[in-house]
Amino acid sequence: MSSKRIRLWDLPTRLFHWLLVLAVIGAVICGQMGGNLIVWHGRLGLFIIGLVVFRLVWGLIGSTYARFAQFFPTPAKIRAYLRGEWREPGHNPLGALSVFGLLAVVGFQAASGLFVNDDIAFRGPLFDLVGKALSNRLTGLHHLAADLLYVLVGLHVAAIAFYARVKKNNLLLPMLTGTKEVEQGEDARGGGLLALIVAVLLALAAVYGASGAWLPKPPPPSAVDTPAW
Amino acid sequence: MKKLMLALLGITLAGGAAAQMKPEEAIKFRQSAYATMAWNMQRIKANVEGAYNQDEVIKAANVIQSIANSGMGALYLPGTDKGKGWEKTRVKPALFTDKEQVGKLATNFNREANEMAKVAATGDAAAAKIQFGKLGETCKACHDDFRIKE
Repeated sequence: MSSKRIRLWDLPTRLFHWLLVLAVIGAVICGQMGGNLIVWHGRLGLFIIGLVVFRLVWGLIGSTYARFAQFFPTPAKIRAYLRGEWREPGHNPLGALSVFGLLAVVGFQAASGLFVNDDIAFRGPLFDLVGKALSNRLTGLHHLAADLLYVLVGLHVAAIAFYARVKKNNLLLPMLTGTKEVEQGEDARGGGLLALIVAVLLALAAVYGASGAWLPKPPPPSAVDTPAW
Repeated sequence: MKKLMLALLGITLAGGAAAQMKPEEAIKFRQSAYATMAWNMQRIKANVEGAYNQDEVIKAANVIQSIANSGMGALYLPGTDKGKGWEKTRVKPALFTDKEQVGKLATNFNREANEMAKVAATGDAAAAKIQFGKLGETCKACHDDFRIKE
């Protein structure tokens, strides 16, 4: 069968992917180091909120192979894939599980991080909405889910290596160039400029909401009359 | 008269024994001390991130230094690995057994708390910010190792 080169991953999808890689690595390092870097951990978390929301919107209005409906892993698709009867370009059904799993855990980390506290001096921007007791609980889950994230990222990277070495299928290159040699399938379509603007605006709105900038500000200390002692 | 004196002595001794700290009390003191330090960490943070008020930072750093050097280890009585103070203690039982590591982390914390007070006294805002980060790292190190993740 003759193969042809198609446009697979659109530029926004690729940018999303690699920015997420960098942001997650940065957030993990800053979170582990603590100290003054915890401030950057928080900023990266907000950035990740924006990335994840962008991807969720892009999964609805992006180009062909970025859409959730195109690669949603139904049991029938997974069975077909495991029988070796899968020929479609884009995320294969197992890869799709990885996509949804990673998005869910990264999304949970970024969202739970908005409410955490470290019992030192750091609080997530929306801490005031939940109070200390629930914040402690969410902080615990934030720590536990970090381990889950390491496992999923490890699996993801191991799968890429497995495809490259054993199945002779380079999945890394298309995520850089956007194109791939395939036996069947069409160029990705859709996800034009308007869709991109909508997705970016919604992502920015999510970051604004998550940043807590809209919360009522406490009055400056100088404006509050407290005893001088 | 002698009997009365003995009785009084007996009551005094009993009173002395009763004044020994109860586990619940020890946990409460611990939690209060950490909460007080959190108040002052937040105070330093507000100053190194916003308008720097040297007096505020000195006051806050001195509180943390005092608590760091207060011998808080005495509040970790045997049997207080579980129980309730103001709330359920979140200490890991390992804190009571892994003495070497706890000692190391506690010493690091004391050193950085002393340094924080020293830096605060100089009024150097940039240095205070750096030292605040270092101090926070020593808090985190113990939280990571010896506090239960809920």
